[in-house]
Amino acid sequence: MPERSRRALVTSLFGLFGLLLVLLAMPFTLSGQQADAPDDVSDAGNFPAQPVRIIVYTSPGGLIDFTARRFADIARKYSDQPFVVINRPGGGGIVAFEEALQRPADGYTMLAVTRSNISKMVATGRDGLIDQLDWHSYVMDNPHVLISNRDSGLTSWQALYREAVEKAGGQLWLGADIGGVKHVSGVKMARQAGIEMRWIPYGSGGEAVAALLGQLGSTYLGNPRDAMSSDDLQIIAVASDKRMAQFPDAPTFEELGVPGLKDENIWRGFAFRQGMPEARRAWFTDLMEKVTSDPDWIESWEGEGVNLQYKASDEFQKIVARDREEFSYYLKEIGLLRERGSRQSLLEGIGDAPARQFFTGTIIVLNLLLAVILAHSSFRQRTGELMVLSAVASLAVLFFVLSASLPPPSPIDTIGARGVPRLWIYLLLPLAIYQVFLVLRHREAAGDRERPYQLFRFIGIVTCYILLVPWLGYLLASAIYMPAALWFFDYRKPLRIAILTAGWLLFSWLVFQRVLYVDLPIGRLFG
Amino acid sequence: MIEHLFGGIGSVLSWVPLFAIVAGIVLGIMVGAMPGLSPSMGVALLVPFTYGMSPMLALILLVAIYIGASYGGSITAIMINAPGTPSAVVTAIDGYQLTKQGKPARALGISIVTSTVAGVIGTLILIFFSAPLAAVAVGFHPAEYFAVALFGLATISSLAGKNWLKAFVAAMLGLLINTVGTDPISGAERFTFNITPLSDGFLLIPALIGLFALSEVFSGIEKREFKPARASNIKDEWPRLIDHWKLRFVTLRSSIIGTVIGVFPGAGATIAAFISYDIAQRISKKPEAYGKGSEEGVAAAEGANSGSVGGAMVPLLTLGIPGSATTAVLIGAMMIHKLSPGPQLFISSPEIVYGIFGAMLVANVVLLIVGLAGSRLWIHVTSIPKEILFVLITMMATIGSFAVRNSMFDVLCCLGFGIIGWILKRYDYPLAPVILGIVLGSIAETNFRRAIMMDGLGVFLSRPVSAVLLVLAVLSFIIPLVGAHRRRKAAQGA
Repeated sequence: MPERSRRALVTSLFGLFGLLLVLLAMPFTLSGQQADAPDDVSDAGNFPAQPVRIIVYTSPGGLIDFTARRFADIARKYSDQPFVVINRPGGGGIVAFEEALQRPADGYTMLAVTRSNISKMVATGRDGLIDQLDWHSYVMDNPHVLISNRDSGLTSWQALYREAVEKAGGQLWLGADIGGVKHVSGVKMARQAGIEMRWIPYGSGGEAVAALLGQLGSTYLGNPRDAMSSDDLQIIAVASDKRMAQFPDAPTFEELGVPGLKDENIWRGFAFRQGMPEARRAWFTDLMEKVTSDPDWIESWEGEGVNLQYKASDEFQKIVARDREEFSYYLKEIGLLRERGSRQSLLEGIGDAPARQFFTGTIIVLNLLLAVILAHSSFRQRTGELMVLSAVASLAVLFFVLSASLPPPSPIDTIGARGVPRLWIYLLLPLAIYQVFLVLRHREAAGDRERPYQLFRFIGIVTCYILLVPWLGYLLASAIYMPAALWFFDYRKPLRIAILTAGWLLFSWLVFQRVLYVDLPIGRLFG
Repeated sequence: MIEHLFGGIGSVLSWVPLFAIVAGIVLGIMVGAMPGLSPSMGVALLVPFTYGMSPMLALILLVAIYIGASYGGSITAIMINAPGTPSAVVTAIDGYQLTKQGKPARALGISIVTSTVAGVIGTLILIFFSAPLAAVAVGFHPAEYFAVALFGLATISSLAGKNWLKAFVAAMLGLLINTVGTDPISGAERFTFNITPLSDGFLLIPALIGLFALSEVFSGIEKREFKPARASNIKDEWPRLIDHWKLRFVTLRSSIIGTVIGVFPGAGATIAAFISYDIAQRISKKPEAYGKGSEEGVAAAEGANSGSVGGAMVPLLTLGIPGSATTAVLIGAMMIHKLSPGPQLFISSPEIVYGIFGAMLVANVVLLIVGLAGSRLWIHVTSIPKEILFVLITMMATIGSFAVRNSMFDVLCCLGFGIIGWILKRYDYPLAPVILGIVLGSIAETNFRRAIMMDGLGVFLSRPVSAVLLVLAVLSFIIPLVGAHRRRKAAQGA
């Protein structure tokens, strides 16, 4: 078969496939549109009329994700619409919170929250976000526990205590979430017991437990559940007022003579954006009561080391307010919350927004100036190459200056937050300068290259498309972009263009919006 | 043990489990091939569908998705230079070159066969050596993780080709980009300019799609390469058995490397693929072909990538600890089905454990069949006229980067990385080192600092494993450079 007709065959096959998808999706589209139509907000009778999203601030896996998924599963019994779990990891919850706050307060977006979110918001100076949320229901908590590895011989709190005294500040406590609720608990435990410890942050609880199994640290601070993964692990102290039913041999701190640690826990619950209609709030309160007393829900948590207890909004808000105060105090103590104005050098002032913007702006202007000068100099042929190096070096200088405002190294973290970026910069700058030297020395032209005007125009089109998506919505913007871009490349077959566009739109809508619950932007002009 | 294993395989060989495996593999391949959808997302998406199933069937389905997705990433990597998963980056290096040379069938064929073989080897290692491997993995000190990361970074020297200076500049740029986001040790936000989406740094997937796929589109447009990569009237030359046999050592070695590195929680498939590629190139008789369409390169990358699945299951099944993002989801799924992964599982429900083993072996066979059949289908992507392909890739990049966390910011980042990638490529800066820096930077930094916090600076040399690994890493940095220098001198002398 000649190439042309073969190609035509392939294209038309794709087109046919697209058309088929369109026909198949028609009923979906119609039902979807109905569901998306804004219904009367005051009317809770037909709420929910579309799936409810539960945003989880971690990657899939882990207890909060499990909580949300379990909840979604059981809530389905009491609702006509499914609950869909969406993971939005990032910034210890900040990414998830901001996404929830961008959506309308219509009850179709829930947030799965934990106590760790509060400490993270406080630690990053974003505690304003706490006020924008409606802390709707507290569903469970579990105490923090200290876990040790039997093989290390530290089989009791007393043994751990003795070792801490011997090592005088050198005892290693492993844990996850830096600046999170466990870190704060660890600091409190050590202080209440009058010992010193060194907190070693790991990326996840799993990694830290692995390190404990490898005896790289003396103890691990985590959830009771973590002790169940291996027979070598043992809970040596529980930070609650009474022993856990599941681990009757594990004593509480109170029994061990360490006071003030009756309430060190992590709670989990659900929140909404402030301002949800009262009728819908009531619907959720009712749902929460049903789910949390559902036998399946209770059964699914058996043996997981958690205390199931539902607390309604009033009580939950008070807990959140108390936690916020507590974290503000302790995070300052740990040194994770730095007070403004405690600068040691002039350079650190660059961390402030105006100075940073001024500096960044200056660097960009200098680079542009350099580009213009080079383009008119005898180095014209090499302008591009030199500008790449200049941009790389500028980035390095910018980061170097900005790194001055990062927390300085501490006696424990002797490298500090700024150490490693600076190391890369120290390596990068000489290499870049040497490369500049090589470019300047070998002055023979690298062969004249045409200015890629067609490419610039194409990048322009793509940029317009991306910028239009939030305004026109994904589907409309793509429906304009795709034919336009194909036309731009001199592809002039209207029917095929139409079929291809329809096929892609349908594919992306079906796969992403319907199956994966990726909310394609609907567009500010219409939304 | 052997009878348990045969029992496990037997329990998988009936209609319903087989159907679950086929469905899982097909879905997994699709999820893996779509940039923006990771294996862990694919598994997580399917978890709710398993509520009604028996625990055994649920795990079979989820494990099949994991295996399918780990392979699927290589398809788009080979066809359009858009790695569907981070670990497929290494596959793209040589795989896409083969496609450009009009030999996509070679790359696709090698990647599917190597994936299958590696998957089986990884599973066998999991079955027979999981206990000792897990014991080594938990005792791995951060100093040793750092040494492994450095070992991975040494790949730059191999990737550098003749222009080591540019390769190092590119790698440093990647490492610097990697420092954007929350500092893993102190919790301070670094270079985020108060932009919330940057609080965890640049996301890997948009960066990958931009640097690899978009930059390739931009270069293609600049060079006006509008001819389809594969003329549709020629007969594709699929690799034959003898071709695979020639790659047996690379495949075997990369599978073992992938499995072993996959065991270590937090190291993962990407670092395994880079290290395996690096070692393969050093041992190869034709090191100069690497980066220019080496079939060995594809096998080395793909073998490590697929072998790591078996490795990641080791800490999951023996200790109940996730070795990768995907196994973290599997733990969640097991909890939902009231199974407690860990040593007790072998005692309380050995039929589940050996069922998983059996399913992994069978799933790899299914992967081979589905993958080989599929390859015949998606090879037609390379016959699509380039103008259409270019537009489709930009749209896929848009929706893929958006899908990661519903953010247009990530789409803009992807475009930005695309432009940066095109510029770097235009001036002969290799792009793989940038990715290497972005992937390995935080592993290196976190473990470096953690090691010092735990035991001071001396720990790197006082622990024998770390000392040996560090010396090897430093040597593997220097030797290729010295070799290249000598060759250059010799060439100048001649």
